[in-house]
Amino acid sequence: MIARVTRLSGVALIAAALAVPPAAPPVGPAAVPPAVPPAVPPAAPPAAPATTTPIEHFVFLMQENHTFDNYFGTRPGVDGIPVGTCMPVRRGTAKPCVEPYHIGNQGSLDLDHTASAFRIQHNGGRMDGFVEGVSTQGKDGRMAMAHYDDRDLPYYWNLADEYVLFDRYFSSSNSGSIRNHMYRVTGGPGATGRAETIPPNGWGNIPTIFDRLEAAGISWKFYVENYDPTITFRTRLSAPDVDRGAQVIWVPLLGYPRYLDNPNLFAKIVDLDEYYDDAARGDLPAVSFIAPSGDSEHPPGSIQAGQNLVRSLLNQLMRSPLWNSSAFHWSYDDWGGWYDHVAPPQVDQYGYGFRVPALLVSAYAKRGHVDSTTLDFTSALKFIEVNWRLAPLADRDRKANTFLDAFDFSSPPRQAVLIGGERNPPPEIRTRSAAVYGSYAAVAVLVALLVVFAAKDPWRRRPRVLATDPEGGGT
Amino acid sequence: MTATQPRPAALAQDREAETLAPERGALPSTARARSRQVVAALVGIGAVALLARAWRLDNLGFNSDEAVYAGQAASLAGNPGYVDMFPAFRAHPLLFQTVLSPFYRVGDVDVVGRVVVAVFGVATVFAVYLLGTRLYGRRVGLLAALLLAVMPYHVVVTRQVLLDGPMVLFATLTLYCMVRFVESQRTAWFVAAGGMLGVSMLTKESCVVLAGAVYAFIALTRKVRRPVRLSILAIAVTAAVVVAHPISLALAGHTSTGRSYLVWQLFRRPNHGMSFYLDTVPVAIGLLVVALALGGLWWLRRERSWRETLLLCWILAPVLFFHLWPVKGFQYLLPVVTPLAILAARGLLGLPLPRRLSAPRVAARSRLVAVAIVVLSLVAPSWSAVTSHNTTTFLAGSGGVPGGREAGRWLAANTPPGSVVLTLGPSMANIIQYYGHRRSYGLSVSPNPLHRNPTYVPLANPDWVLRHNELQYVVWDAFSAARSSFFAERLMTLVRRYHGRVVHTEYVDGAGADGNPTRIPVIVIYEVRP
Repeated sequence: MIARVTRLSGVALIAAALAVPPAAPPVGPAAVPPAVPPAVPPAAPPAAPATTTPIEHFVFLMQENHTFDNYFGTRPGVDGIPVGTCMPVRRGTAKPCVEPYHIGNQGSLDLDHTASAFRIQHNGGRMDGFVEGVSTQGKDGRMAMAHYDDRDLPYYWNLADEYVLFDRYFSSSNSGSIRNHMYRVTGGPGATGRAETIPPNGWGNIPTIFDRLEAAGISWKFYVENYDPTITFRTRLSAPDVDRGAQVIWVPLLGYPRYLDNPNLFAKIVDLDEYYDDAARGDLPAVSFIAPSGDSEHPPGSIQAGQNLVRSLLNQLMRSPLWNSSAFHWSYDDWGGWYDHVAPPQVDQYGYGFRVPALLVSAYAKRGHVDSTTLDFTSALKFIEVNWRLAPLADRDRKANTFLDAFDFSSPPRQAVLIGGERNPPPEIRTRSAAVYGSYAAVAVLVALLVVFAAKDPWRRRPRVLATDPEGGGT
Repeated sequence: MTATQPRPAALAQDREAETLAPERGALPSTARARSRQVVAALVGIGAVALLARAWRLDNLGFNSDEAVYAGQAASLAGNPGYVDMFPAFRAHPLLFQTVLSPFYRVGDVDVVGRVVVAVFGVATVFAVYLLGTRLYGRRVGLLAALLLAVMPYHVVVTRQVLLDGPMVLFATLTLYCMVRFVESQRTAWFVAAGGMLGVSMLTKESCVVLAGAVYAFIALTRKVRRPVRLSILAIAVTAAVVVAHPISLALAGHTSTGRSYLVWQLFRRPNHGMSFYLDTVPVAIGLLVVALALGGLWWLRRERSWRETLLLCWILAPVLFFHLWPVKGFQYLLPVVTPLAILAARGLLGLPLPRRLSAPRVAARSRLVAVAIVVLSLVAPSWSAVTSHNTTTFLAGSGGVPGGREAGRWLAANTPPGSVVLTLGPSMANIIQYYGHRRSYGLSVSPNPLHRNPTYVPLANPDWVLRHNELQYVVWDAFSAARSSFFAERLMTLVRRYHGRVVHTEYVDGAGADGNPTRIPVIVIYEVRP
């Protein structure tokens, strides 16, 4: 805390003392309301192995269930929705078809996004089954062709103007959340075969990126929104609120006995509130993973709530002393059943899945850059492994591209600027200063001439009686 | 008490001698020596006036009004740091801001505006000399200038970027033109007075009240020429000058700005009680000065002339108007300092002395002692106001705000651009916007357009704004909190609800309840989040 001191007079002292909020004592530094915690001076940066880039703090958030075209398909300058797109209601039959449309105020649905839905929508690479993939589940298939734009996602679009938007970023698995989240932390699908479930005994010994970090003495934390540490793979099916069981899917570490039973490891899975405190103190770990809860943007949830969460996280990072050495990356765990026009490369039996939105915000991120490198969730693992010199976890992350090209490390770090949530703010009315200067200059000249004229009055009259002498009561 | 007769002839002789003085080139040696003495005295008075107005001018940062006027000047000059924060057109005409704007073209500047006002203040001291000399002779002119040079009221106001200091210079020049008109009965001087009054009104529109003083004077003074044609001509000139403001508004596309502000001023609630001016202004002017001005009118009553009528009209018109006007400001009565200083100087030099002090040398020494006492009675409070950080801090218009500049600069240096700040009231919001370059909103600004200054932007639902990440910092300040405990409590509720963390505090030194020195927080900055 920085303070400047000036002197206060007696009157000012009384007034100031009276003005101190009633919960506080009348004088002294403690007059600041005690219910509000004082800021702690930024901690010294934790000792960690040197990084290969200026990025010493990497934050990776995973939101839920949207495609690239669903969020950014109408954005100029990206590989967006092709002109003339019309998705057949039935695969292989051109008509009738559904054109992409702006979702507007229409409520969204939780569209089918299982492996079988993927197969229908993908249709062997023909990409013509998006409507049918949803309608076969008894839902309105046209919804798959709905999309958002900057009217709905002004903050994300503003961020894309300033930082990096990826338009060839694929979900790692062509199925739902469990495999994709496992790819995010292990580089592999976790559950193999057709089943996509968490094994009854947990994930066993599948290595995670956190094992690598732990072994290398690199700090990490897994921040969880609305974290309930009692919900683990052991309890999730018996939890009173079965929806809260998703916490175990989105935080795969809660499916590992060793992370639950080792207090040292378990203590690194924390509530998201700690992220704000850590960032404010300059005490973020080297690697931070974040899992949302109610603000995940998972349909039919509010995408605005998700934007607000991302904005909170980024605002805090931008206000943190660590901004100049940090990178914040977020994406979406699967496509959620929405349309995307790019057929995903087939790298193995599990993926890739369809494209998902992904952005990178950092003091070193290129400004307004669209990165078209083929990436997936394991690209984030690859970045961590490259940056902290760690061994790969699996085949996927070993072969993955990373997003180093999205950075510009040759330039000094960019100053943080809090991005607004308004897409097209009304232009400020600029004052035409010349009109003001001209008007007042004309007046000045006029009055000056009047005074000079009066002083040298060429029409001088003979002074009348009043003149100079006192009147002696003449008023 | 025995007293010498007032010396009705003395002041008139003084004037007469100067009026009849030969041309400069033909001055005899004694006249030249006297002229040099006058110049030396004027230089000394000017130096004192400048010292009083410039000493530790940067001690405290701007108050709210200063921030607004300087911000307008910077915006007018196109300074990119202020254009988005301060619209050039707000409440008042822009003559002074236009003069100021070249100094604010680039960078973060503040004190230069005060220097400009201080120069206006010193110029007013010289204008008072000219006026006093023309009315009552050089001695009165010099003494009136000296009184004004050290008068706390004028010193304090002309150390701030306020419109009132420049306005009083133009008002004094208007008075000078009026005097020349009455003396010469030349139409041109009356027209010039009309033009100068227009300039005063372009500096601050409230100066229109001085038109009432002119009218009252003409109505009360039988021997002043007052043909209708003359009045129409002068009014037309005044109007031609004043119309520069609406013309510039129209050309710049802001026609509704002035109208909205006028409507609000007419219907806003009183901000001070009826005794406000009586409580604050005479003390600031100097009680001895007021007493001498009034006393002089009594003991020099045999010399009564149109001059006193004119000066009294110049005092009474603003005093009556602003006393009745619901909105009161410490500096609003500043135009009265010119006639008061002249009347006080006249009263002091015409001070009746006991018979035993009537010998010329003794009388001169006695008057010198009286002058010294009066001047010292002004110097002491002026010096206190100049050197103290905040003796009158809590009265708008009476000085800078402790910690405001430092808090704003802290925000500029330690928060990302784009951060938005919530303050307790609009005054601190203006200061934060000026020094911090961060958009700031006052919590106490009413969403009801009838109850707020139209230039302020209210937050209809601060809770919603905070919840949606539109606000990142909250600033509590003791000065606003002292005025509204209700909004202070509301602000702290929001701070607690949105995880407020203290990130910066500005303190002042004071004494605790036990009398020991302690630091008192006057401005606290909180970081907040949803």
